[in-house]
Amino acid sequence: MAFALRVRRALPRRNPFTHAPPAQTRAYTQYLSRPVQIYRSTSTDPYLNLSIEHHLLQRSHPDSTVLFLYTNRPSVVIGRNQNPWLEVNLHQLRQGLPPPPSPPPKGSADDPPSPDSEQEARRTPIALVRRRSGGGTVFHDVGNANWAVICPPAAFDRDRHGEMVARALRALGVAGVRVNERHDIVMDVNDDGHEEEGRAREDGRAGTGSGTFKVSGSAYKLTRTRSLHHGTCLLQSANLGRVSGLLRSPAEGFIKARGVESVRSPIRNVGVGGEVFADAVMREFRRMYGESAGEGGVVVIGEAEALAAEEVVRGVRELRSPDWIFGQTPQFTFSTHPTEEDPRERPPMADFLPYGVSLHRASPFPPALEPPA
Amino acid sequence: MASIARCLRVARPSARFAVVSASRTIGVRPFSVTATNAIRKYTKEHEWIDLSADKKTGVLGISEYAAKSLGDIVYVELPEEGREAQAGDAIGAVESVKSAADINAPISCKITQVNLALEEKPGTINQVPEDDSHGGGWIAKVQVTEQGLKDLEKLMDSAEYEEFTAAEGAH
Repeated sequence: MAFALRVRRALPRRNPFTHAPPAQTRAYTQYLSRPVQIYRSTSTDPYLNLSIEHHLLQRSHPDSTVLFLYTNRPSVVIGRNQNPWLEVNLHQLRQGLPPPPSPPPKGSADDPPSPDSEQEARRTPIALVRRRSGGGTVFHDVGNANWAVICPPAAFDRDRHGEMVARALRALGVAGVRVNERHDIVMDVNDDGHEEEGRAREDGRAGTGSGTFKVSGSAYKLTRTRSLHHGTCLLQSANLGRVSGLLRSPAEGFIKARGVESVRSPIRNVGVGGEVFADAVMREFRRMYGESAGEGGVVVIGEAEALAAEEVVRGVRELRSPDWIFGQTPQFTFSTHPTEEDPRERPPMADFLPYGVSLHRASPFPPALEPPA
Repeated sequence: MASIARCLRVARPSARFAVVSASRTIGVRPFSVTATNAIRKYTKEHEWIDLSADKKTGVLGISEYAAKSLGDIVYVELPEEGREAQAGDAIGAVESVKSAADINAPISCKITQVNLALEEKPGTINQVPEDDSHGGGWIAKVQVTEQGLKDLEKLMDSAEYEEFTAAEGAH
């Protein structure tokens, strides 16, 4: 880990966001010392939202309890100590998501279909993100709602706030929701073949039929003075059918890695809207902790306002850097053939690829491999 | 280490008792026995530090209580050798059960060596978290600064720490 720390220090301290307008008069930071706080971000930038969350973790009063709700544009988010080459199909990630099917043209059927290049240009990019909390890899898009609760460590319980979200979902009429032994929120479904419209119909294979489906994960970050529990709840994601492929690396059979591996779970949407979900979670949160600070009990954080905090800007810069996303990967070995350390038979490889290659990637990098400062 | 006493009770109802008995054998080192024995102190955030007899160097790690509460440790983010830390600074982290938990410097110190064996076998911390010998779950060896010696006075000895964790586990 020392490698990235050294690189981070070598980065110039210039602030790329100096052109950002100054914070509005009622900055969200004025609420940080209140006992109960609820924040919502208007940004869908995963790097920014995670940096706001980290800022709240570090700067909110040690005795306060904070709820933070946000939505991210399409992203694959790996855990703090995971390997992106092992967890993610990076080729698929870089291709992005195909555009949603457009309605049939109203004019004549003679209209030429849009050329492939145009289709290509309309693909939605997917961000690759390494978060600061532990746990496995998840997919986010605008059909997910992210929730985070920050509280004093003495009050920390791995299930307390998962239960809070599960209660919110049950209050919305989502049946069969509970927190399982892995601290995930799951939904037990007994499908008689008349599944409600809007519940994970998008996914042809996973996510339909009877069984138990994960609808929200859990991950934690514990600091000296605070604890953070966050999760991402699948509400109405249109991309569930693509998640499994995105989170399956073609290099899996070649890599032996230290660090944390994800556990695969079948997933499903709960089928409620983002605003309805947010209201229900805020209601349960206030039921537990009392009325929250701010006008109407909710403090809305805009992008410009968030970037007015130098710490948030630094956080975004760090999370976006390849040194963080790739450089913080725990030690691993990639080998095209069975080795003593990793004797598995290797999957077939394309002819044009070299055979007999073994790459060892250490963390921290030996000094000789460090890029010049 | 943050305190996470509550999940401990859910996951391992008997763990607190195991900790108490274990810390009697591992944690308590009456330094009257021989002059070379170290002085061991604990933080409220569940780190321990051994001070050498000449008070110039130390060994640190996370407590048995913390290791039990965190559950199976699957990765250790070791401190950076050569780093100078103030008391309370996050110098590394351990991951267990989806949690990334900071390891904080118990006192002001300079990291001189890290336990590289934990990279291969992070679970050693669960087995022998308070063992500062070769093969033990210690995390780093440090040089103790003058400020570090002052910081040490604010920490708990093993009897006080045992009382502290018993109270924390009970609330």
